[in-house]
Amino acid sequence: MAITAPAPAAGRSWLKRHAFDLALVAPLVLYIVGFTLVPVLTSIGYSFVDPATGAFPSLANYAAMFRQSDFHEALRNTLLITAIGLTLEMGAALILALMLTKEFRGQGVVRSLLLLPMGVPTLVSAVVMSYIFSLSGYANELLFRLGATAPVVWTGGGLTTLLTVVFADMWKVTPMVMLMLLAGLNAIPEEVYEASDLDGATAWQRFTLITLPMLRPAITMALVLRAIDAFRIFDLTLVLGGKTTPVIATYAYYEWSAYNNPYTSGAGATVLLVMILVFVLGYLRIAERGQEDVG
Amino acid sequence: MRRCLRSLLCLAVLAGCARAGEQSPDQAMPGDAGGKTVLTFYTALGQAEWKVLREEVIPPFEQAQNCVVRSINVESGEMGRKLHALKQGGAMDVDVIGQDNMALWLLVQQDLMEDLSAYEHTIPPETIDALVNVGRFNGKLYFMPYRPNVEITYYNETYLNKHGLKPPEDWDQLFDTARTLHQREGVGRVAVKADGTAGATVHYFDFVNAAGGDPLTLNDTGCKRAFSFLKELWPYLSPESRRADFNTMNQFLAMESVYLGQNWPFGIEVIVNQGEKKDIKAYHGWRGPVREAHTLGGEVLGIPKGAPHKDLALKFVSHMQSKATQTMLVQRLAWPPMREDAYAEVPAWQKPYFKAVKEALAHAIARPNVPYWEDFDKAINLAAREIFLDRADVTATLDKYAAQLEAAKQRKSAP
Amino acid sequence: MSATPQAPAGSRAPATRDSDWLATASRILFWPVMVLTLLLVTIPTYILVKVSISRPAELLTQHPTFWIWQPTFKHWEGVLGSPELWAPLWKSLAVATLTTVVAVAIAAPAAYVIARMPKSLRYTTILGLLVTRMFPDVLIALPVAVTFIKMGLLDTVPGLVLAHLIANLPFLAWILVGTFEMIPQALEEAATVDGCSRFEALMRVVFPAALPGIMVGAMFVWLNSWNEFTYAMYLSTATKTLPLQTYFYQAKGSWFDSAAYATVLTIPVVIITFALQRYLVSGSLSGAVKG
Repeated sequence: MAITAPAPAAGRSWLKRHAFDLALVAPLVLYIVGFTLVPVLTSIGYSFVDPATGAFPSLANYAAMFRQSDFHEALRNTLLITAIGLTLEMGAALILALMLTKEFRGQGVVRSLLLLPMGVPTLVSAVVMSYIFSLSGYANELLFRLGATAPVVWTGGGLTTLLTVVFADMWKVTPMVMLMLLAGLNAIPEEVYEASDLDGATAWQRFTLITLPMLRPAITMALVLRAIDAFRIFDLTLVLGGKTTPVIATYAYYEWSAYNNPYTSGAGATVLLVMILVFVLGYLRIAERGQEDVG
Repeated sequence: MRRCLRSLLCLAVLAGCARAGEQSPDQAMPGDAGGKTVLTFYTALGQAEWKVLREEVIPPFEQAQNCVVRSINVESGEMGRKLHALKQGGAMDVDVIGQDNMALWLLVQQDLMEDLSAYEHTIPPETIDALVNVGRFNGKLYFMPYRPNVEITYYNETYLNKHGLKPPEDWDQLFDTARTLHQREGVGRVAVKADGTAGATVHYFDFVNAAGGDPLTLNDTGCKRAFSFLKELWPYLSPESRRADFNTMNQFLAMESVYLGQNWPFGIEVIVNQGEKKDIKAYHGWRGPVREAHTLGGEVLGIPKGAPHKDLALKFVSHMQSKATQTMLVQRLAWPPMREDAYAEVPAWQKPYFKAVKEALAHAIARPNVPYWEDFDKAINLAAREIFLDRADVTATLDKYAAQLEAAKQRKSAP
Repeated sequence: MSATPQAPAGSRAPATRDSDWLATASRILFWPVMVLTLLLVTIPTYILVKVSISRPAELLTQHPTFWIWQPTFKHWEGVLGSPELWAPLWKSLAVATLTTVVAVAIAAPAAYVIARMPKSLRYTTILGLLVTRMFPDVLIALPVAVTFIKMGLLDTVPGLVLAHLIANLPFLAWILVGTFEMIPQALEEAATVDGCSRFEALMRVVFPAALPGIMVGAMFVWLNSWNEFTYAMYLSTATKTLPLQTYFYQAKGSWFDSAAYATVLTIPVVIITFALQRYLVSGSLSGAVKG
C-alpha cells in the first residue's frame, strides 16, 4: 500500500504505481514551493544586495545591521522572551494539564474557562494587555490600592517590559500548550500508574519516573511549536512595547516600513530564520539522542 | 486526480462567489454607482474626520460632478507601498491621494506622482505661500496644498495646578516642570516623542530649530545644543516617551500618564471630545534659546501617475481647496485653513485649542524636502537613542552620524 | 522508555503518606492555584468587555475603576450602527471559512499520503513542513504582495485566502499526518479487498475515520485565519478584515471603539472554541503531538 514498499529500480513503473499518491500530495508541494520557498528566497536575496552599489552578493546589510545597537537589543530581547517565555509557559501548562487529569467538581466549567484565551485573538490580547499594563492601567491601580506609591513602568523598556510581554504571550498560548500536554498525558496508559501505586511510589517519583519520560514526545512537539512562534513574536511586542522593546521581527518590520529598506529588513528576517533553524534542529537532535538513551 | 480537479473546481466557484460579493465597494460608498464615474481618494484620517469628510465635504462635489467618490483610509507610511504596488500591477485605481507632507519624497523618488506644475495656477491666490513650496521637488510641483498642520502642546490642568505649575514658556521652565513632576510623583510626567520613528524626528526638528540650528546638518551648534538639553532632560521625562507617537501621545494624555506633551491638533477631538477630558488644555508651546519653532506639518493632495480620472481628480483638488470646503473644515474639525480668507467661528469649546493652533502656526517652519530624508530620519533617531539611553557623548555621537549621513548625501545627490 | 517505571521499584518501598510531599502539596494547593489561574485567565477578558461599556471617565484617569458602575452602550451603538463593522466582519468570515475549506481539501489528502510513507521519508517530510513554519511572515509577505497585485488579487477574498494558506497548509497537513497515522492501515486494506478503489476507500473509510481529527485541525485553521494580521495588512487597502479594523481604531486612539471591535472579533472565536472543546480535551489532538 502507498509508498510503504521500497521503490523498485524502474522509474516509470514507480511513477505509475504511485500516481495516486503523487496526485494527492502534488497540490500541497506545489503550493509550498510557489508560495513559500520562492518568496523566501526572493527576500533572502534582498539581504545580500548592497543597496549603495547594487552589488550581489554582498554582506553590507549584515555589517551595517550588526553595528546598530537597536539590532543588538532586538537580538537580546528575542532570545530572552523565548527563553523566559518557553520556560514559564511549559511549566504552567504542565502543572495545569496535570491538575486537569484529576477528577474534581466543576471540571467541565474549569476546562472551558481555561481555554478562554484560545478564543481571544492575539491582537485583542495585546490590546487588552495594553489596557492593563499602561502607566495608568489596571495593574498599577491594583498595586496602588495595595499601597504602592509610585506606578510601575511596565512598558518603558528593559526587563520589566520583557516580562510583561512574556506574561501577555503566556496568557494567550498556555492553554494551547496545556491541551497538547494533556493529550500526551491522556495517552499514558492507566495501568502504568496502577503498577507504580502497588509499588508505593510517591507522587514525585510517579512524576519524574513515569509522567515526564512518557510525556517526552508531547513536550518536544509543544516546545518546538512554541519556540518557533516565540522567536517570531511580533504583534504583542508591537502593541505593548513598540520601539522600546524591539524584537527581530519588529526590527525587520520597521526597517522596511519606516525606512523603506527591504535590504536590512531581509537581513533581519534572515537572521531570525537562522536562529529558528539552529534552535529547532539543535533541539530535535538533542531530543532524539535523549530518546535513544532511554530506549 | 479526479478529486484534485473537483476541489480545484470548488475553489474556483467559491472564489468566483467571493469576488462577486466583493463587488460591493468600500463602506463609504453609497449603494449604487449607477454608471457614474467613481473617483478614488486615498488618505489617512481619524474616525471623526472621516465622518465629516464623507457626510459633509464630499457630497456637494458628488452632486456637482455627478460622480461617486470612493474614499479609502490608507496610512501615510503605507501610501508609497500601495501606490508602488498598484503601479507595478498596472492596476492604478487611485485618482487622488491626501498625504502627510513628511512622507512625500519617497512618492516622487519612485516616480509615482503626476507632475502638476502645469496646474499651479489653479491654486487659489489666497493660499499661504509656504504651503505651496512643500509640494515642490526639483523645481516641479507634485503636490497641491490642502491642509496645514502644526503640533500644539497639551497639558493636564488639574495635575499642573495640583503641583503649582504653569505650562512652561521656555526651555528652563520646561526642565523645571519635568524635574518637579518627576520628584513629586516618582515618575516622569512630561513626554517628548522619542519612539525612534518619524514623529520623533519632528520633535527633534523643533528643538534644533529653537536652538537656532539646522537639523539636517546633524552636528551644528544648534543640533548639539538641542541634544545636550534633551540629554539632560531625559531622566526627568516620562518613560512613555519611548513609546510616544502621534496616537499613543493622545492616549497617555487622556489616561493621565503624561501631563505635558506635544501632539497634532487631532488630539483635541480624541482627548477632549471623545475622551471627555475637559481638563486637558492646549497652548502653542515653549521657545528655545534662539526662538520658538514648530515644524510645519499637514497634508497635501497629489495625483498618482496613471490615475484613471485625472481631470475629475483636479476638480476634486479644487473642491478641497475652495473657500467653502476650507471654511467647513475649520468649523467642523478646527483644521487650520490653507487660505487666508477662510475663517469661521469654531464651536465655543474648541476656541482655546484653535487659538493654540493659530499661535503655533505663527512659529511654523517648513521642513525642506531632501532626497536623503530616510537616511537622515534613521541617523537622527539612532543618535538620539545612543545619547538618551546609552548616555553617549553628544558631540562625538552627532559627529559620527553626521559623517554617516554625509556619505548618504553624496550617494543620493549623485545622478 | 517503556522500561522506566519498573526500574527503581526497590528503592521506594518505604514511602509513606507523610513523606509524599508532592501529593500533599498538590492536594493543598490544588484549589488556590486553580482559582488564581482562573482569575488570571478571565480577568483580561472581563476588562475587554468592561472597557467597551465604560464611560470615558472610568477609564481615562490614573485610577480606573474595576467594577462596572454605570455601563454605557454608547460605544456599542456607535459600532453596531456603523457600516464600518459589517464589511470587515463579512470579509473576515468569508476568508476564514474559505481558507479552512481549501486547506482541508489540499492538506488532508497530502497528509494521508505522508502518513503512509516509510518512516524516514515521513520524518523528513514532516520536518520539511515544520521548516516552512519557521519562516517569518514578513519574509514571505513582501514578494507575495507584489505578485498578488500583479494578478489583481489585492483586496480580494481569494487573494487573502491564498495568503492565509501559506501558513495554514503545512500546519494542517502536519496535524493531520498524526491523525492518519492512528487509523489502522488494515481498515483501508479491508475496503480494497471488498472491491473499493483506493479513492473510494479513502473517501468512505479513511476520511470518515479521520473526521474528528480533521475537524479539530480545521478549527485551528479557521481561528488562525480569523486572527491573522500580517498578510491581511499587506494585502488589504480598501477592504479591511476585522483584526485590521480593530487595530485601526486602537492605533487611532479610539479605545472604546477598539474594545467594542475587539469584543466582536473575539465572540465567534470563543463560541467555536467552546463548541469544539470536547474534541480538544478528548485527545484527538494527540495526533498533533505524536510527532
